[in-house]
Amino acid sequence: MTMAHFGGHGRTHLSEYAGDVWFGKLDARAKLVGIFVFVIVSAVLTDFVLVLVSLAVALTLVLASRLPVFYLARMYSAAVPFILFASVSVFLFGGWERGIEMWARTSACVLPLLVLAAGTETFDLFAGLRRLHVPAVITTLLMLTQRYILLLSEELSRMSIARKARGFRGARNLLDRYGVKVVAFTAGMVLVRSFDRADDIYEGLKCKGFGQEMTPWRRSRVALKDGLLALGLATVAGLLLTVQLGVIT
Amino acid sequence: MHIPDGLMAPVVSLVGWIEFPVVFAAVLLLSGKRIKERNLPRVAVLSAGIFVAQMLNFPIGGGTTGHLVGGALFAMISGPTIAVIGMTIVLLIQGLMFGDGGITALGLNAINMAVIAPLTGWGVYSLLKGLSERRGARGKVVGGVVVGAAAWASVFVAAAACAGELAVSYAVSSGTYGIAATVAVPAMLGIHAVIGIGEALITAGVMAYLWSVSPGSVTSTDPNRKTLPGLRGAVSSDTARAVIAILIVFALALPLYFLYSSQGKDGLEKTMQDAGTAEGRPMISSPFEYGQDYFSALFAGILGFLAVALVATVILKLVRMKTVRGEEP
Repeated sequence: MTMAHFGGHGRTHLSEYAGDVWFGKLDARAKLVGIFVFVIVSAVLTDFVLVLVSLAVALTLVLASRLPVFYLARMYSAAVPFILFASVSVFLFGGWERGIEMWARTSACVLPLLVLAAGTETFDLFAGLRRLHVPAVITTLLMLTQRYILLLSEELSRMSIARKARGFRGARNLLDRYGVKVVAFTAGMVLVRSFDRADDIYEGLKCKGFGQEMTPWRRSRVALKDGLLALGLATVAGLLLTVQLGVIT
Repeated sequence: MHIPDGLMAPVVSLVGWIEFPVVFAAVLLLSGKRIKERNLPRVAVLSAGIFVAQMLNFPIGGGTTGHLVGGALFAMISGPTIAVIGMTIVLLIQGLMFGDGGITALGLNAINMAVIAPLTGWGVYSLLKGLSERRGARGKVVGGVVVGAAAWASVFVAAAACAGELAVSYAVSSGTYGIAATVAVPAMLGIHAVIGIGEALITAGVMAYLWSVSPGSVTSTDPNRKTLPGLRGAVSSDTARAVIAILIVFALALPLYFLYSSQGKDGLEKTMQDAGTAEGRPMISSPFEYGQDYFSALFAGILGFLAVALVATVILKLVRMKTVRGEEP
């Protein structure tokens, strides 16, 4: 269970519960393919009823995944400002049906992605992307960056405690010269420490056999239940698309 | 500024998905050895540093807070190509681990925050940094203002691009997707003009800290950088590279502009229609049937853009030659 907690975005590491639920034990490739196909199709739906059906499927996935709903709701709230802004704007210009359609469509796309993020160990997710032939330079950078984020966020929380110990309670507003300077210098310190660590980390990686690529050590194969999830989501997406295009009425 | 899936019109998302892989591939090619084995962990560490620096919230006022975007800062520290790669990684982590952004919107999000923001910040900084070098003792203050201006511009231009994408989505989908320009443009630009001030103050503070504590870590102000001779030197000069960066940002906006303009009549045509007059036969007709459809408008626009860029470059070159001759004893 990953225990890192990220403070600044007001978010916690999403894959904390991945090891506890059945969804977390599925192969990352199957989840990636199934959810990506569903999200892409949901994003192009314009029929009001079909959009509501895709939202119902997304909500079913949320409940079926057994991930804590409050947890996903908290993560969903990060996307709410943009969704609300768009929905209210469309409502004002196009009426209530279009406003609801916009909210339902964006939510039907956001929720499955949150389930994917929360229900998959981060390194399994990146390894799954590599196995799906995403370029090695991207997946290796993702894995390394994620590793260093954990290190540096711990460093940031230590700095935060040190600031509080000296009586700093945060900047009041942008005109608070001292407060803004402290925030900026803290960010600068994080960067300087990251530069200092870069060479040590590289030497450490070389000792562990690092070449050009972070190769996943764990073997993984797509079992029947993994295939069924991907197939199920792809089938639902296919049906929604065919009805949207008028192939099936 | 993270656009979720389902908000943008599919054709607009497709433009993002066409543009971004092309830019990313070009950047990988240009970065060459700097993205190879030994430097890979460095890029990752820097990306992680920017990600963690983004966690520091700053108060905007009225109970709201903002946080660093970091595109300009990344570019000023490591150069534009590494910044594009690093910011893309930061965006992918935000998308895959936190559900910020989306799949169909990834191309547009990456164009706005991983390409336009760093390139604009770096371009403005490179164009203006000469001002601080010539100011002697006051150079530090001017340097801070230059960094702040670059950071503010990076956030504002990225927000403008996002607002433009929302408006084009609304126009091409007859209101099914996106947000009307009358709402999207003032709302996005208004709030990001203020967020940009926070970005400017924090970025200027971070750069001031880096200059005093670890000057060697800032690539863009490396005093040991060699000047290449001839054409390579001219292309690798700060001004030329800054102009190229700003032109790339402009070029990225072109397909969406032509997508938008191909949807309706321009101001003159609308006025003529309202007045009940019709356009006469042109003296010379365009070989590309300008404005007839999206692709002819795009093609004609790119040709026009290249022609203007070429003429401007020649004029600048001539002015520079004249100035250099005038300076000679």
